[in-house]
Amino acid sequence: MNVTRRDLLKIGTLGGAGVAVGGAIGSSAQEEVPTPPRNAVGMLYDSTKCIGCKSCVVACADANGLQPDTRVDSLHQAPNDLNSFTKNIIKLYKPKYGDGATFAFVKRQCMHCVDPFCVAACPFHALEKDKVTGVVSWTPDKCIGCRYCQLACPYQIPKFDWDSFNAKIVKCEFCKERLAAGKEPACTYVCPPKAVIFGRRDLLLREAHRRIQEHPDKYFENRVYGEREAGGTQVLYLSAVNFDLLGLPHLSSTEHPSNWLRWEERVLKFFALPVGIYVGMVTFLKQNFREHEAEMDEEHKKTGLMPQL
Amino acid sequence: MNSHTQSDLTVVRWQRGVPVFGVPIVNKNFLFLASIAIAGSALVIYREVAGLGAATGLSDGFPWGIWKTFNVMTLTALGSGSFPIGIAAWIFRKRRLHAVMRVTLLISFLVYFTGLLAIAVDVSRPWNVYNLLSVYRWNTISPMWEVLWCMPLYCLFPLFLENTPPVLEQWWYFFPPGRGLVVWLVPIIRKTYPYVVALAYTLPILHQSALGALMLLTGNQVFPLWQTPMLPLLYVWAAAFIGVATTICSVLLCCLTWKRPIDQSIMDELVQLMSWLIFPWLALRLLDIAVRGRFTLMFTGGWLSVIFWLEMLSIFVPAFYLRRQKYRHHPYLLFRNCLLIVAGGMLYRFSPTTFAYRPWRVGIVAYYTPTVIEIIISLSFICTCICLFLIAVKRLPILPAPLQQWYESESYYRNFYPYIQMSGYGKDQHRPSYAD
Amino acid sequence: MVTHADDPDRPVTIGEQLKRAGIPRRDFLKFCTQLMIAAPVGLALTDKLWAGEVAQEISGMQRPSVIWLHFQDCTGCTETLLRTSRPGVDDLIFNIISLDYHETLMPGSGKQAEQALRSAVENNSGRYFLVVEGSIPTKEEGIYMKLAGRPATEMLEQLGSRAKAVIAIGSCASWGGVPSAGDNPTGAVGVADLLRGVPIVNLPGCPPNPYNLIGTVLEVLRTGNPPELDSDLRPKFAYDRVIHIQCPRRAHFDSGRFAQAFGDDGHRHGWCLYKLGCKGPDTHAGCSVRMFNETPDVWPIGIGAPCVGCTEKGIAFNIPIFEQATVHNITPPDTYPSVSLSQGRPANLATGAAGVIVGAAVGAAWAAAQKLKSSEESAAEKLIPSPPSDIPPEFPADDKSKGQGTGA
Repeated sequence: MNVTRRDLLKIGTLGGAGVAVGGAIGSSAQEEVPTPPRNAVGMLYDSTKCIGCKSCVVACADANGLQPDTRVDSLHQAPNDLNSFTKNIIKLYKPKYGDGATFAFVKRQCMHCVDPFCVAACPFHALEKDKVTGVVSWTPDKCIGCRYCQLACPYQIPKFDWDSFNAKIVKCEFCKERLAAGKEPACTYVCPPKAVIFGRRDLLLREAHRRIQEHPDKYFENRVYGEREAGGTQVLYLSAVNFDLLGLPHLSSTEHPSNWLRWEERVLKFFALPVGIYVGMVTFLKQNFREHEAEMDEEHKKTGLMPQL
Repeated sequence: MNSHTQSDLTVVRWQRGVPVFGVPIVNKNFLFLASIAIAGSALVIYREVAGLGAATGLSDGFPWGIWKTFNVMTLTALGSGSFPIGIAAWIFRKRRLHAVMRVTLLISFLVYFTGLLAIAVDVSRPWNVYNLLSVYRWNTISPMWEVLWCMPLYCLFPLFLENTPPVLEQWWYFFPPGRGLVVWLVPIIRKTYPYVVALAYTLPILHQSALGALMLLTGNQVFPLWQTPMLPLLYVWAAAFIGVATTICSVLLCCLTWKRPIDQSIMDELVQLMSWLIFPWLALRLLDIAVRGRFTLMFTGGWLSVIFWLEMLSIFVPAFYLRRQKYRHHPYLLFRNCLLIVAGGMLYRFSPTTFAYRPWRVGIVAYYTPTVIEIIISLSFICTCICLFLIAVKRLPILPAPLQQWYESESYYRNFYPYIQMSGYGKDQHRPSYAD
Repeated sequence: MVTHADDPDRPVTIGEQLKRAGIPRRDFLKFCTQLMIAAPVGLALTDKLWAGEVAQEISGMQRPSVIWLHFQDCTGCTETLLRTSRPGVDDLIFNIISLDYHETLMPGSGKQAEQALRSAVENNSGRYFLVVEGSIPTKEEGIYMKLAGRPATEMLEQLGSRAKAVIAIGSCASWGGVPSAGDNPTGAVGVADLLRGVPIVNLPGCPPNPYNLIGTVLEVLRTGNPPELDSDLRPKFAYDRVIHIQCPRRAHFDSGRFAQAFGDDGHRHGWCLYKLGCKGPDTHAGCSVRMFNETPDVWPIGIGAPCVGCTEKGIAFNIPIFEQATVHNITPPDTYPSVSLSQGRPANLATGAAGVIVGAAVGAAWAAAQKLKSSEESAAEKLIPSPPSDIPPEFPADDKSKGQGTGA
């Protein structure tokens, strides 16, 4: 076909748009490594020290004004997992006979990830990460109840109020009111053997590594869970048994939202690509629309029938 | 393009959209569908009152049920026929496809509209939807945010506007007092049409890929045969060919039901468009799996491998057969093959959210089966869509037909509206001013 | 107040009296140890490191004068006092306190007794302790309890207003007790319902632990104020916890081991009596720690009888004994959730329904396709268009040569 001046103009516009888009994408080409805020707080839970007394469960319900989950027998606070009544739970791993491993308790609550999946997922920042302490908290005013955070979280932490009309997302928020008043979270405060302790994340990491050094081969793989998992979490775990057995999923250090969504972010940077596509389409459409209209008018004149747009 | 000679009088050409006249709207089938739709609305009230836990089989392990994953993520792919056909018709100048534009736009609008209803019912704190308007609360990285603004905008703005011409047209014919308004509106529509239509092609690309990105964020919770960084691209591409296949199926079905002749050349064009979309998509998917090193999973993944092969074969085999004219020109074979493509595509869009979504972590197994209430509500959205489609197709000039049908409709309508004139606007006779 | 014979203005301290009576110091130390065990928390007097410090403090105190009144009582609270051994009641009334009027224990009667009461009140006005046992009837101007012709209401008013502190011992004196059960035909009420302007300490229980009384008296002597009281005027050192919190059978409650009927296996094994109506979770008292009669495991729950909540107004003699109590402070049980569990529920009916619907959809699509197959035979006739009749001749019929439609 003959290349007309018009076609050249079109190609030129599109090429220019393409360059702009490529520039936008290229400008964000570097891989993002999540870093915690400077004063990020954290919890260090040492499963080898936990005695399973569940004081933290009671203290958490108390400090957060949650009614105890008595749905099992109406006498005891016996949730079998985190749920809309329970922000913190102690679970027991019992090895199968002949497994060789010893039993272990594990404390489960929100991990307050350095690059949280739920924060990336929430459309209106109902779940947001505090810039100073790094605590991930939920605001009811912004939440539309789409439950995308539940889908996204690899630890399955956000729990939903399935039986209520004014449903909430319930998860540990690090007792942020207590933090604001200068106190530590309720669970770390009451723990009798200090199995879970509160502090700055960097200092807790240091303490965790110190414990590993002091007792080599006591802790599983001589590593701290949460140091690098999914980009790092602010709740750190030390355990003698395999983390898998405690229900802590195996996540690599590159499995975090900035990584998963990096192409989407690049492609939609400044909305350059969609606008570029739009401009390109309008250019083509206007031209074709004029031709189409001319044809319609001709048909109308020939057949006497009104053109259908 | 013009492969048939003039003397071949058996060739059908679709030339205008014509309402399905002479067929009553309310009949047995319509009542059946409408009753499901009404039952669904009653159950929606129950869901609002009793809460999601009572009405659905959802749990914290499986927070999304069939409303989000089926009615929105899967069925809107069925309704995505307008943008590939439109791009082919307007930008690649396949003018013949203009004949089916109205049908596909109607299907798109109704499917998206009922999909939006499904979102509205599924979302648990809908009173906070005003946050869509507070710019400083937008989380631009979130695919969910993308879906929440792009889909309503697409449905209620460009798609809606593109569906107004048939309505205006009928107004012109059947409601002479409204002609002034029509005459005033149509030039505006014509002037803004390119901009609106371009928006109608940009927005679906955005949100259909965002629907794919929704599952992208869940990372390794989706089985590797589906989870890929290419997921948004694969989703929007799949939406394109599923939409075209749906258009073919629905137009065939409509022509069958109301005894309309079928324009084979347009069907050929649509199948060609579809093939252009399907084969590269299949190749891309297989290449992606190979590059990520998950080739063996196609055979060792247990029942998930079975589903994978079901999807791929269900899309590949019919598309392969449709390359031959014998299959394309036989309405039954064409319909069956396109239906298989639609089914395979739907399975592809549905799997990452349900079958291939494995939220179990080290021993936690999450079950999800939709409750009967959920199924009925989901069906009611589909039935609403079909009922509205039936009403629209019987009252508005949407379904394409040869010119003969137009004149027959005119004679038919003259029985009820003696003053009506739907043809014969010559140069010197009174004709609407917007034809200038 | 007892004063020295040679110096009427100098009151005799308890230490001096003990020495005079020849009580060995070891016995006195044993008594102080007993006090420390009996009141482990909240009593400043016993909050010391060892018994010697308590002994020193008590030795320096003045022997208080105590007047004990019986109203609508069963004398059970006196009997409980008699059951102490360290100190025995003799030590108590001869060496620690000066029991100036007690209808059960004093030898005198009749006019002699009335004289003793009058002189005790006059000599120690403003300084004596009034211990009230039994409830006070208020109906019909209190005629249901009269002492020497005077109604109890009048006696309480007269004697209570001049006391340093009033100790209402027993549930009856605290809130009405047994006489107030049911219709309360006599209008029985506790001391605190009638008396104003005097410090009142309630020691509910049926009967209460006698060390509650001893601890209270000594605390008042030491500081001049009653021990820290709760909103029902009960000393916190004895009544701030419910039985459930320190019950020896708590482990059975936490593990879900309950006796379901009297005499069944669980009952014989000594399991928790909650299902049999134990009011322990709802009852403030110290019985689970101090037991009865200074003997371990001799207390209702220890012998297999569920607690009836005898200290609590509204529970004792009100709620049926075998009706289950409310657990206020709900705590986790002794069991742990497992790391692996399943969520959600597989629903068979819905799966079946979904299958039926999918099958129906497939069937409908297949049927539609079949129809298409059969329709293609009859399609040929429809394909040939004929020109319409009413179009003016200058407009040609459908122009086939164009090859594409006018319709958009």
